This record gives sequence, structure tokens and C-alpha cells, in this order.
Amino acid sequence: MSARKIGVYVCQCGGNIGDYVDVDRVVEAASKEPGVAVAKTAMFTCSDSTQQEIVADAREQGLDGLVVASCSPKLHTYTFRDVARRADINPFQYTQVNVREQCSWTHTDDHEGATEKALRLVRAGINRTRLTEPLESIVVETTPQSLVVGGGIAGLRAALGLAQIGLSVFLVEKEDRLGGWVSEFKEMYPHGRNGGELVTQLESAVRAHPDITVFTSAELIAKSGSFGNYQATIAIQGERLETIQVQVGSIVVATGFDTYQPADGEFGYGQDGVITIAEFKKLVEASSGPLEYNGRPVKTVAYVYCVGSRQPQYEEGANTYCSRYCCNAATHASLQVNALPGRVHQYHFYRDMRTYGSFELLYAESLEKGSAYVKYPDEEPPTIEKDPQSGRLTVTARDLLSEGEELALDADLVVLVTGMVPRENQGLTKALKLPVGQSGFFNEIHPKLRPVETVVDGVYIAGCCQAPRNSSESVQSGLAAVSQSAAILKRGFAELDPLVATVDLDVCEWCGACQDTCPYDAISQDQHAGKEVAVIAKTACKGCGGCVPVCPVGAIDLQGYTDAQIRSMIDGMLGVGV
Amino acid sequence: MKYDALVVGSGIGGMESALKLGDMGYKVLVVEKAPSVGGKMILLSKVFPTLDCASCISTPKMAATIHHPNIDVLTYSEVQSIRSDGNGGYHAQIRQNPKYVDEAACTGCRQCEMACNVAVPDEFNADMVSRRAAYIAFPQAVPKKAVVDRAGVSPCTHECPAGIKAHGYVARVRSGQYDEAFELVLESTPLVGSLGRACYAPCEEQCTRGELEGALPIRQLKRFIADRRYGQEFQPSPEAPESNGKKVAVVGSGPAGLTAAWQLARKGYGVKIFESAPQPGGMLRLGIPAYRLPNEVIDDDIANVTSLGVEIATQTRVEDAQGLLYDGYDAVLVAAGTHRSVRLRVPGEDKQGVTTALEFLRAVKLGEDVDLAGKQVLVVGGGNVAIDAARTARRLGAGSVHQASLESCDEMPAHDFEVEEAKAEGITLHDGWGVAELTGGERVQGAELKRCTCVFDADGCFAPEYDEKMRKQLECDVVIVAAGMGADTEAFGLETNPNRTLKADPGTLQTAVPQIFAAGDVVTGPTMITQAVGQGRRAAFMIDRYLEGTELDPAAFEEFLPRVDKLEVLRRQDVYDRREPLESSETMSAAPIDFAETEATMTEEQALDSTARCLDCGVCSECHACVDACPADAVKLDMRPEEMEVDVTSVVLATGFKLFPADAKPEYGYGRYRNVITGMQMDRLLAPTRPFNSVVRPGDGKVPDNIAYIMCTGSRDATVDNPLCSRICCMYSVKHNQLVMGALPLADVTVHYMDVRAVGKGYDEFYQQAKDMGAVFIKGRVAKITEKEDGNLIVRYEDVEGDGGVVEAEYDMVVLAVGVQPNLEVAGLFEEGSLALDEYFYVGEADEDIDPGRTNLPGVFVAGAASGVKDIPDSILHAGAAVAQAAAHVEKLKAKEEPKAKEESKAKVTV
Repeated sequence: MSARKIGVYVCQCGGNIGDYVDVDRVVEAASKEPGVAVAKTAMFTCSDSTQQEIVADAREQGLDGLVVASCSPKLHTYTFRDVARRADINPFQYTQVNVREQCSWTHTDDHEGATEKALRLVRAGINRTRLTEPLESIVVETTPQSLVVGGGIAGLRAALGLAQIGLSVFLVEKEDRLGGWVSEFKEMYPHGRNGGELVTQLESAVRAHPDITVFTSAELIAKSGSFGNYQATIAIQGERLETIQVQVGSIVVATGFDTYQPADGEFGYGQDGVITIAEFKKLVEASSGPLEYNGRPVKTVAYVYCVGSRQPQYEEGANTYCSRYCCNAATHASLQVNALPGRVHQYHFYRDMRTYGSFELLYAESLEKGSAYVKYPDEEPPTIEKDPQSGRLTVTARDLLSEGEELALDADLVVLVTGMVPRENQGLTKALKLPVGQSGFFNEIHPKLRPVETVVDGVYIAGCCQAPRNSSESVQSGLAAVSQSAAILKRGFAELDPLVATVDLDVCEWCGACQDTCPYDAISQDQHAGKEVAVIAKTACKGCGGCVPVCPVGAIDLQGYTDAQIRSMIDGMLGVGV
Repeated sequence: MKYDALVVGSGIGGMESALKLGDMGYKVLVVEKAPSVGGKMILLSKVFPTLDCASCISTPKMAATIHHPNIDVLTYSEVQSIRSDGNGGYHAQIRQNPKYVDEAACTGCRQCEMACNVAVPDEFNADMVSRRAAYIAFPQAVPKKAVVDRAGVSPCTHECPAGIKAHGYVARVRSGQYDEAFELVLESTPLVGSLGRACYAPCEEQCTRGELEGALPIRQLKRFIADRRYGQEFQPSPEAPESNGKKVAVVGSGPAGLTAAWQLARKGYGVKIFESAPQPGGMLRLGIPAYRLPNEVIDDDIANVTSLGVEIATQTRVEDAQGLLYDGYDAVLVAAGTHRSVRLRVPGEDKQGVTTALEFLRAVKLGEDVDLAGKQVLVVGGGNVAIDAARTARRLGAGSVHQASLESCDEMPAHDFEVEEAKAEGITLHDGWGVAELTGGERVQGAELKRCTCVFDADGCFAPEYDEKMRKQLECDVVIVAAGMGADTEAFGLETNPNRTLKADPGTLQTAVPQIFAAGDVVTGPTMITQAVGQGRRAAFMIDRYLEGTELDPAAFEEFLPRVDKLEVLRRQDVYDRREPLESSETMSAAPIDFAETEATMTEEQALDSTARCLDCGVCSECHACVDACPADAVKLDMRPEEMEVDVTSVVLATGFKLFPADAKPEYGYGRYRNVITGMQMDRLLAPTRPFNSVVRPGDGKVPDNIAYIMCTGSRDATVDNPLCSRICCMYSVKHNQLVMGALPLADVTVHYMDVRAVGKGYDEFYQQAKDMGAVFIKGRVAKITEKEDGNLIVRYEDVEGDGGVVEAEYDMVVLAVGVQPNLEVAGLFEEGSLALDEYFYVGEADEDIDPGRTNLPGVFVAGAASGVKDIPDSILHAGAAVAQAAAHVEKLKAKEEPKAKEESKAKVTV
């Protein structure tokens, strides 16, 4: 028998687990495992009441280990570590067993099999817990300084926001000037504010702030250190290339986007009279009299939406995503045209008008002011042809709003409403080890609840480098990254998981294999008792375990997932006696 | 109390705001109106586009919010007002609404919920099913504590002068808990059977159902439970409590005296009742005829009192109330009633054959031989007692019974139904006639009546005027005078009022002699039984306090919540099913020959039918089932709102949005067509805590196999004054499409849309996925829905993308993708007009381009959908923006407060 006192809680998760797994049987079996003092089921183990029940059980029974069989550890590891803490159980003597994503949801057609699998998974979890040792979090003092990468509107506002909360900021901009895309915009929807002026206003506030240091023509080229205390290496292109290092607690990446550049011939691009929305906006904003293009009066404009966005999934390298801002931008541009003297006929060839929220008002106004909308089928985009003789452009499309009638429109100007694409940022991506999503934008840790956080602790993504959005939304995410930074830096210290690799220095015979395999540069060579050994910086180690199997002499173990624990879990899974 | 930030609302935006500020080290107060944190997100099935279970990703945030060391959370509380403190911060006035449950003691076991006898629509399940009045909001509620939903006191209960929980026993009867219903009435008075028959039921006049088809028969329900209890062979007598060693004498055994004795005995007092009549019961026994109140019922009621050890000494007249104090009683209650008859003061009143109604009724009730066979009887008076006398005379074989009343039929103090019953029993009514003279020799032989032209003067005082010339003669050989009654108090040696009632403080019922209290008609003059019962209760309460040495505070006796407004109750539902009221069970005979009861006890079926008609006006019925059921003794119905003021440096408004009320688009039939539901209802049908464990049509429980979605319901729609796009509906519908196709693999899903607005990371791909799974998207706004007899729905729309023309399609269920509306309550928190709203009444942002989330008021920020509709990730980002600025505001004020030179803080750079 084991001297351990482990509490096992098997969750029904409403019906998510309970509908497929015979939870009572799992509890019954778990209660017979050695070292198990309490085994129970609950409708929602994560609910406050069950949390309190666990705390009460732990206090009453003196539990020293906790197993919760519920959903993915991604969801609730921290929830139940916190419960353990409140229950005076060492949080690292808690094991989360996934009987939902990896069991009930995958075996909805086989209740018996799902139950048997859950039994084994829980047994493995109990076995692991039985071999846990109490561990303490690694407490790191954090540096109350942040690095903002990118001096566009999101980066500028983030830098200012950080400084206003009392954190020092380094702002790094690749270009020789601050401001990014927005500095080139004149009138922006929906409030008609001048982008250039907004940026100027922000830039002067940033430059005036004593706690913000700005580096232009500069790039982040390397990052070392660990959570809360990163050393960032910045290369500055001045008269000569200069490299500096700054110590920061967090990094906000706000590197923005690129506009989609149509290929030659794509929707007639490259021909005289076919331009992108960005080019068109500049043209409109430079006009004061009737709209002209290359000296010719423009009487008819055809907008073609979704150029470079919402491309069919089956096409290699397609931009399947919606760029979000373009419907608003195009309707807004058409209103700007309406404001110019002279009458211009405007035709919008679209798929779905995505003027979401209050931007609907732009769309409504453009309809009111005479813009005509033609809905073309998803799979049949319009074609643009130029008559070589007359030089006239003709847009041909089927209009779904007129029973699929084919429509050929002569236009003086064809505006391709182009979307956003991720910016090429390989150097930065590599330096920060940032994950990139399918569409090429940086990936957040959870798209719903943690949209600015990344898998790299303390590194946040803001603005259009995460996904297409408009200026105000970019500013929002920049400020959200400020809040995230402040949430970890204002306290002055951070706690890291102690689930890191350790080296048995007596056994290690330094071969360097572990150092080569470590993706986090956490392993270095050192002296111990007159020999060369590997040492692991515990604040840099992420506990990935990559070094453990490569050690030829078995000198490395991963705390919380020791070889003995893994073996016991396999035994539990196979039903081998302990 | 002082906080760095006040966060109003605890939906996803509020929780994110609070958690981030808390993590930064600021002290945060979260105020949430609902009993649980979590807002709308926790109610969703899954979220787009990840299809994460909404509960699973919300609960950690909810628990974290509640447990965060820097965050205090007040649930079931409301911010009343927020006003500037003049130094950059704010004073917030907060009201904690009573949960009626001691939060610290509640274990969330739901026993109260299981015991509760009231069901109301469950707003946390989009009103598709019911919840109890005592309830926990939903299974994952944080904190998981019960609340008792009380809208106020139900009008019936509020009206009862006896303080009986009328709604409470109705609710108990509805659940078949007849004994418990009886016990609940016993809490107020032992006279359950008597009141079940002879009470004039002022409660029924107040019944909200009376505004519809007719009031509930609340009195008869009381009779039903009493008869049932008294009819049982075994009558468990309530256990007599332990004696507290003190003795109280009660003078009079009428409703006030019996009730007071009962209440005192239950508190452990030794009580003795002194009654001058040969049998106890006061007016119940002596004044109310047996066809209305049989003696056995009075006996049963009194047995409740005597079973507690209360002694009743009959035929014992008390001459001197103070003398009882010398006999060893610690206190005395005088509740002697009004047994003195008022005289007519007309010539001939002293002739033989003239008697008073009180004497007459008393003689009959005590079984004396009163023979009226063949006699011509005239009853004088227009009150209830006169009617009782007339109807009694009829039963004693009188040849004719005439009744003369000064008042006309409409003005008579007797209840209308009594007048009707008297007429039905062959009594001839002379209304508007007074007696001028009783004629005859030694014995009365007739009466001369004169026309009464006016009974009351301008002040409403009794001052009859006559037309002396209009006269008529009546032959009669018995005259029964029922001209009123009064207190007969000379004997008690206590101070009296000019009308000879006893002088006692109306609030405390204490007389000038501190140990002597007086209650009932002897104090108030003649009233109804229920009022006397109420007086008896009050007296017992005060005597107990007096003998305990506690201050006699009239307000402490019975503190009611405000009475529920009937109109508000009627407004809760658009339509109420018609439910016919109970038909009268009265059996009337034109020539009644005995004293058998004219009304029958209702059957169990009638009782259940009748109670099912109750509208549960107060929501909680005060039936006390939860109080009895709670193992932790945590239900506290005497809790009251608590007001508090807090100082805050910044404010984050995260008050969210409201869903568009789908019935505002009548052409879609929501509320009328059973199988037209809203998007939120579909989310509930799909949620892990779903009410029916499957997607079913609410109309008939059928599993739908052909479901339509109507997009833009209440959005992009000038006809409902909302030109805005609601932004979330496309995506939640696309999410539903996938979930429905997962839950019901054979179901067809069709979406009638205007534009599919899948803007957001991964959203368009998610939309494509729904199409790939088989969802059909049809462009065009739906004009109208009609319902077929089988509950299926015909959707009429213009087939824009197809062949054109108007097309009709049949579905077995329609989901309206309702949009959102602003939550208008938020503006009211601030001094009028000070918080700027945008033109669609969302909280305005002063500079959305640079400072999203900042309002026009310094230090006040808005997070999430309160500033305009946002989906979850955008709410999170927006909240992040708001709190970054809230933190900056706090820092700025701190710096002002600590003006010491900030140390050189320029960042260190190592080159």
C-alpha cells in the first residue's frame, strides 16, 4: 500500500464526459488504487462549488496529491493548481487527466471502450501523482521595462500606454521614421480623422515622454534570457551598424502588415486604369476638383472586392482569410468620391458586404448616395478586359441580385479592393521563436480569450501582425498588450513553473548532446568536481524534455515528469501492477 | 472603502478588466447585478471559430475573478450612482440586493431549490424552462450560492390583516402539501377552520388574477386545508414548547384572545384565558350562525390552542384586569370584544318581542330553545350581523322575514354576496327605510317605517336624514335589532375612549398600565375576524417583548417588503392562458330549514385547479419551504437591501448589451409561433447544461429535421430603428449550423442571410466549413413567417439568387438570429447627461482612434460591448485597452498625491 493520500475527481462536464464515459465506474476503480483516499465525481469539477469541495476534502483527509480527470490540461491546469494551493496541496503534486478531448469526445460511438480508456488514463494519472515530489515555483524578479517592436500606430500607442503606467519603454522601428501605414492616410473611417495628424500627435507624445527611448532604422535581432528578464539585441543602422542590448520584462510585437499586391494581370492589374484601393485612396485624397486619372476624367468607377482575400481553399498558398477592413475602406472611399465635385458612377462588385457593426452606416450612406452593388458568385470572380483599340476597361460579372444576369460594365477606373497580407518578418520570427499561423500572421495562444498572448511568455502581439484589422482596433490590441505587460511587470516578480530539466552532475560526462538539442539555449557547459558537466538555467528551460532522451548516460531528468513517473504512467495505462 | 477601480458588470469584458487590473496590483471592486458572474458568455453553447465549450473556458475566468486576492466581487448588487469626488476619483453608491440567503452559510446544495413551490421562467435558459424562486442561477454559477427571488409581497399576503401568508399556503396547496399549508397558517393563527369559512377574504379582492378571469378562492383553499386536517383521524398536536416560567392572562376567547394565547403559548408562556360566556370562541361562537361556521370547526380551532396547554376558564367574568396581576400573572391581555348592543332609540323598543341580534344569535348558537315558527320577523339593520340574524330567523321557521336597512342596497355595510344570499333565502329587503316606531301593545305587533334619504353626512359620519312624510307599516311579532355593537369596558377598571373602547397605544397595544395590553375589537371597535387576529398577533409579540425586556418598537412587529404592483405582474407575460375561476359551491334554498352549511368544501381537484391559477405575484410566496429545507439554516427572509458607498479612483463600465426582443418583429411570430426561437435559445438548446438534453422544438418536443435561420433579425433594419449591423449574429449562426449538424446529423440547415459577415481571424474559414458541412445559404430578407397547424413554419422570402420571385419554404423550426441593443441603464449611473453616449445610445468613446475605451469623463472607461457590439475576442482587446488607460489614470493620480520627485527613471541601456 502507498502512504500517499490522493484525491481523485472525475468530471462529468455536463454531458461532455458523462454521456459517453461511465463516470461512476471510473470513480469506483480509482477508489481502489493504492494511495487514493478520496474518489468522487462532479457535474463540473471546475465549478466553484466543486473547487470548494476539493479544498474541504483535502483539509479533512490531509490529501497530499490531487488528480482531476476532466478536460485538456490546456484549459484547467492552472485552475486546479490553484485549487491545490488553496487546499494546502503542493500545486505540482496535481495531475490533470484528459478524459474529454482524448477520450469521451473521440469515442462517442463506443461507451464501453471510452470507459475502459478513461479507467486507464486515470490510473496512469494516479500513478504519476503517487511519485510526485513537492516542487516550488521559480520566483523571478522582473524587469519593469518593455520593448515595443514596430512604430506604427499600434506600437506608438502601446509605447505611450506602457510609459503612462510607469514602465520604461524601448521602441524599435525598422524604418527611419515612425508612423507606419497610418501616417500616410488622410481621412480615415469612420470618424474622418486624419491619420497623419493622429500619428504626429502620438509621435510627439512618445518622443516627449522621459521613459520612452526610440530607435529608428533599428531591428530586434536576438533575444536571450528568460521570462521577465529578456536581453534583447537591437541592431541600429546609423552611420555605421551598431548593436545594443536592453534588458526588458516584456516584448510587444506590433510589426503590422503588407498590402496585397496583385500579380500582373490579376483582375487586369498592371493595365492602365486598374489600381489598388490604396492607390485609389491616394488619388482621391489628392483630388480637389472632379476625379481624374492620368489626366482623363473618371466618370465610372468599378470596385472589385475580395482581391487577395477569401481565396478558394483548394488553391495552393491561397489567402483564405477575410481581410476585414477592406469593405469598410472601399465604401468609405466611394463616399469620399461622392464628396468631390462632378458626378461619378460607382459600381461595387462584391461577395458579401462586411461593413460590420456601426460601419454598416457607411454602406447605407453609399447606397443612399447612388453607389450600385453587384454581388458576384464566390466561384466566378469578375473579369476585367481592356479593349486594345478604345482603351476602355470592361468589367464582366454575373449579378446574383439580378437572377444571375451577366453584366458588362464599361469603367474608366477599376479599383481592386485588396486585402492585407502578413509582413515578411523571418528575422524577427526566428529571434523571438514566434509561431506563425496558417495564414502567415503571428499566432496568439488562444484566439478567443488570449488574443495578444503568444506561447512565448512575456511576448505579445498587437495590431495587424496578428490578423487584419483597422487602425482603431490595432490601437486597442496595442493597449491590450500594455495591460498584459503590466499584469506581469507591475508586481516586480513573476513565478515560473519548476517543471524543468535537472542534471545529475555526478552522472553527467559532458558530451554536449543536450546543449545541441535545446531549443531555448538553456544548457551550458560548466565545471563540477573537476570535470566538465552540463548545467541548465532553470529560468530559461521550458521543460520541453528534449534533452532527456538524448543523454547517453541518463543524467537528465525532467521535474514533474521523471522517467520513473513516465514509466509508472505507461504501467498504469497497460494495467501492469505497481 | 477605497478601490483603485470599480468594474461595473462581470461579463467577459468585466472579468478581463478586473483580472488584468488585479494582476497589475490594483484593488478592484466588481459589481454584478446577476447572482453569478459570467455575463452572457457562460450561457453560450460553444464559441466561434474554435468551438471551445463556452462553459469550459469561462469558468476558469469566473473562478479566478472571485478568488483573486486583489478583487472583491459583489454579486446581486447594483451600482446606484457614480459621482465625481472632485479630485479625479469617484464616489459610487452601491446597493447589495438581499439574496435572502446567508452566503457564508450556503453550501450550494440546492435543497431550497428542490423544495421551492414557485416556478418562474428561467432567464438563464432563455425562458424556455422554469426555475424556482429559490434557485442557483446555473450549474456553473460563481459563487455557487442560492438566492431567493422576491419581487415584493404578493398583494393577497400584503392585504391580510391577520398577517397570514396567503400566497404561501396557496403555493403549498399547489404542490399538494396540504399539511404544510395548514402549518403555515398556524404560524399566524390557530383559527384556520374558522377563517376558512367566515373570513371576508380581503385577500381575494386584491388577487391579481381578479384582473383577468376572477380571483383565486383563497379563503376556500384555507377551508380545504383545515377540513382536510381536521378530518384526519390522527391529529398530531404541535409539541408544546418548554415553559419559560412566565404567565399571561387573556381576557376573552375570541379571535384576538385565542390568537394571542396561541402565539404566547408557542413561546413558552403559561397562558390562561378567561371567558365570560359558557363556551369559548367569542363572536365566532356567539355571533356567527352555524350555517356559516359550525361549532365543531370552532372546537377544532380552539383545540389547537388548548393542545399547547392553554387553559380556558369559561363563565368567568373578569371584573378587574389589574387584579389578575396580583394573582401572579406577569401580563394581562384584554381582548373582550364588543358584546354590547347599540339601541335603536325609537318608541316601542322596550316592547316584548323586541330583541337584539347579538342576544338572538347567541341564544341560537348556544342551543337555547328559540322558536319562531310562523312568526313574522323584522330585522332592523343593514350590516352583516343583521343579515345573519335574518337568515337565522328564516331557518327557525319564521313565516316571513323582513329586513329594514337605512342604507340602500348599494350602500349596505353587509357584503353584496350576503345580501344576494339573503334575498335568495326569501328575505324581503326594505332598503332605504328606517324604523320610526315599533307599534303594538305590550308585545310588538308592527313597525312604522320612514324613508331614509341620506345616511351619512358630508364627513361620512352616521347622521341619517328622513323624509318624515314617506311612511309604511309592517306587521311583525318579532323585531331583531342589529343597529351596531360596542365595547363593554366599564368593568376592567382601565382607561377608555369616549366610545367606550379601551385606550391602548395603537402600535404597541399597551395600556396605561404597562403590564396590561388590550387588543381586538375592544380597542378598535367592531371589525372583522382577520383584523382581530392581527391584533392578537401584535399583542402577543409586544407582550413577549415587554416580558423579555426589549423595547416595544411597533415597526419591529411585521416588516413587509413593498407590495408588488399588479400591473407589473400582468406585464410579465404578453398573454396568460385563460383559466376559469372556481364555480360557487353554495347551495341556496328559498326556504332553508336547518343550519347545515350552505357552502361545501372544495374537492382536491378544485383546490389544485384553483392554485394553478396563481400568478405568483411576489415570485417568492413566503411559504417557508426553503427555510425548512435548508440544512445550513441559511435562508433569511428578513434580509433587506444594504447600501454602501465606496471611493474609487477609476471606473470601468462593462455593462454589455441587451439582445433584441424578437417579438418586436411581429411578422416573424416570435412568442406566438411555438417553434420560432431566438439564437440565444438555440445556444441554450446546444449548451452542455441544455434544458432538454437534445435539440427539440419547444412546441411539441419533436426533433427538428429542417431548421431555418433568419439573419439580421432586429439589425440593419430601419423598421425597428436599428440601422446598425449586430456583428455577432452571422457568426453565432454559423456556429449553430455546425453544432446542429453535429447533434442532428440528418437535419437540414438553411440560412436566410443578407451578407455573411465573417470578419475576424479564422472566421471566414469557419463559414466555409459550415457550407462544406452542408449548411445552405440563401440570400434575401425574409418577409413573413406563418405557422401551420402541425407547428411547421412557412417562410416567405424573395429568391434573390435563384430564379427570383417570391418563394415559400417550409421548415419545422425557425431560429431568429437576433441582434443586439444598447444597455441603457448605464447612462443613469451618472449625473444626468454627463456620460456621453453615441447616437445609438452606446457609451461614447471620446477618441476611438487613439484612446479606445476612454469616455468623455476623466477616469471613466468603457470595456467591451457597452461601447458598441463586439464579439468575445474584440471585447477582450477592448477591455485590455480600457484598463491600460484606467491604470494610467490611477498612476497619474497617485503621482499627484505623492509629489516627491520621481527618481531618474530613464531606462538603462547597455551598449
